[in-house]
Amino acid sequence: MKFLVLFLTFIHLAWGADATLEVIKGVEGLSALAIEDGSAQPSEVSRTFSKMLAADMNVVSLFVVDETYATAAFDSSVPATSHKEAKYILRYRLISDGIGGIKADIKLLQENEELFIKSYLLKQSEMLVFLAHTVAYDINKHLGGAPIDWIKRKVIFVRLTSPRHSEIVASDYTLSYQKVLLKGGLYGFAKWANREQNDFYYTSLSDFQPTIYKMNLASGNKQKVISSDGMAVCSDVSEDGKKLLLTLAPNGQPDIYLYDTLSGTKNRITDYAGIDVNGQFMGDGSIAFVSNRFGYPNVFSTRLGSNAVWQIVFQGKNNSSLSSCKNFLVYKARESSAGYGGNAFNLHLLSLNSGSVKRLTANGENDFPRFSPDGEAILFIKQEASRSSVGVIRFGLNKSFLFPLKIGRIQSIDW
Amino acid sequence: MTRKIAFLSATVAMLVLSGCSTKEPAIDATAHSAGNATNTGANPKVVATSTTDSNAVIAPITHANAVDTTVDGSNGSNGSNGSNGSNGSNGSNGSNGSNGALVSILFDFDKFDIREDMQQPMSQNSGLVKGKNVKLEGNCDEFGSDEYNFALGLKRATAVKNALVNNGMNPDSITTVSFGESNPVCLEKTQECWAKNRRVDFKLP
Repeated sequence: MKFLVLFLTFIHLAWGADATLEVIKGVEGLSALAIEDGSAQPSEVSRTFSKMLAADMNVVSLFVVDETYATAAFDSSVPATSHKEAKYILRYRLISDGIGGIKADIKLLQENEELFIKSYLLKQSEMLVFLAHTVAYDINKHLGGAPIDWIKRKVIFVRLTSPRHSEIVASDYTLSYQKVLLKGGLYGFAKWANREQNDFYYTSLSDFQPTIYKMNLASGNKQKVISSDGMAVCSDVSEDGKKLLLTLAPNGQPDIYLYDTLSGTKNRITDYAGIDVNGQFMGDGSIAFVSNRFGYPNVFSTRLGSNAVWQIVFQGKNNSSLSSCKNFLVYKARESSAGYGGNAFNLHLLSLNSGSVKRLTANGENDFPRFSPDGEAILFIKQEASRSSVGVIRFGLNKSFLFPLKIGRIQSIDW
Repeated sequence: MTRKIAFLSATVAMLVLSGCSTKEPAIDATAHSAGNATNTGANPKVVATSTTDSNAVIAPITHANAVDTTVDGSNGSNGSNGSNGSNGSNGSNGSNGSNGALVSILFDFDKFDIREDMQQPMSQNSGLVKGKNVKLEGNCDEFGSDEYNFALGLKRATAVKNALVNNGMNPDSITTVSFGESNPVCLEKTQECWAKNRRVDFKLP
């Protein structure tokens, strides 16, 4: 029901316009919030933190954010002179803990009265953006905003560094903080193995055969899951983490397999002489996947133990790059038959309940859509002319946000 | 006697449980104020002060070493020829990712059938690899999506394998792999460059 409401709300958003335009339209009636640096010794770091908080408070969407930087005594109940008009003041003070981390105090004032106050410990100062995300999460939760659990989640992606070389990187949702988890070989298709984001799967193409490994984030320990001639990809992980949908090609034929992580057994789901890839668990028990059964990549579905296959998307020239959540699918579609640059690749949302398809983006090349695990948001990469961005679409609020991206070529991404 | 034992058991259980409850949490969940004077509890309207909330501590993502110790240089090239020449710099004309006199087979956009103009290079390669073990590496241009692109590369390699088998080669001496768009021989953003990247490379172990 929650998803139905979200979807109906979203129909309004997706009616032909790029969601980013809605940000401007939707701000009327919101109160002004200003951010103030209350650090005893303001620094470049504390100034940067102001920008990070401003970006996140924009995403929270409960305020009109005044992004001008100002300082004020942390314990003062009155705003800085330049922020006299702001109804809300988000004030912080940062101090080094002396061992590479940062202690932070955060305070939200509403018309000079404290609404929220909390202290944080950031163990690595380089992860400052995660502190901003956590503060945004806490304030949103305290004020009863729509759920944004995804704002604190880690993103994992594979970056191509040179031919035959790539890195697996952990990041925040804006991809501004980046921590290399694995490098030295050729990797692809990194995917979180559980909700807690303790482990992840990835494909190594540095072995004799493509091989899927599971790696523990904390220890760095790796264990082999399965290998296959031709291709081995972990496409999706069930909610409980016990089942995987894999693409394997033991005879040079890419098909979808269901893999049981407890028993180590696999069952072939599709058997087609062309291409079947990117299996996704759906909320109704079916499995959505991308196939070229009709001569071009499109979205189909099937069920365990059934040979029947249904086409579930009926528009678009080239529909691939799939992500699912419950009974919703988001996929990338090429808008024209032209094969090359300048072509528009837009994201579309499909409801399996109603069969409706709505366009989520209006221009550029939009790729790598990934639902947040709670289905509240979609992360994607946007390429427009020479500019790359990472985008977040929030259905419930009819808004999307773009953050500049400078990380080279992405091979895969998971949230 | 039985009641005594039951009482003792209950007491021991309580001690054990109370011991557990005072155990240190898995992560340090205590964040202290950055200021000298604590601000917590000073104002009754402060409704969300928390210094024992795990959300208050932001831990490092990992301390593990990122360098993959299971991969070495020769492994990185898939055991095909043990050199970075497989990237294309070792090719016959700079746009070819295949070994020696072998020629890469090129494909059309989003296709995996062998073109008419590639029949002659296929015959040439077929003669050169006959009786040997060969690895076929399928590749794609930068267009297309992650998994689908890898599958497309694999279908290209499989099409070349089938052609070799039709020419009398033992299928067991041929292995295939796809690198999707991860192994371009040309990095410019031109149609000519993308056409060179849609290819199958021949590698001899």
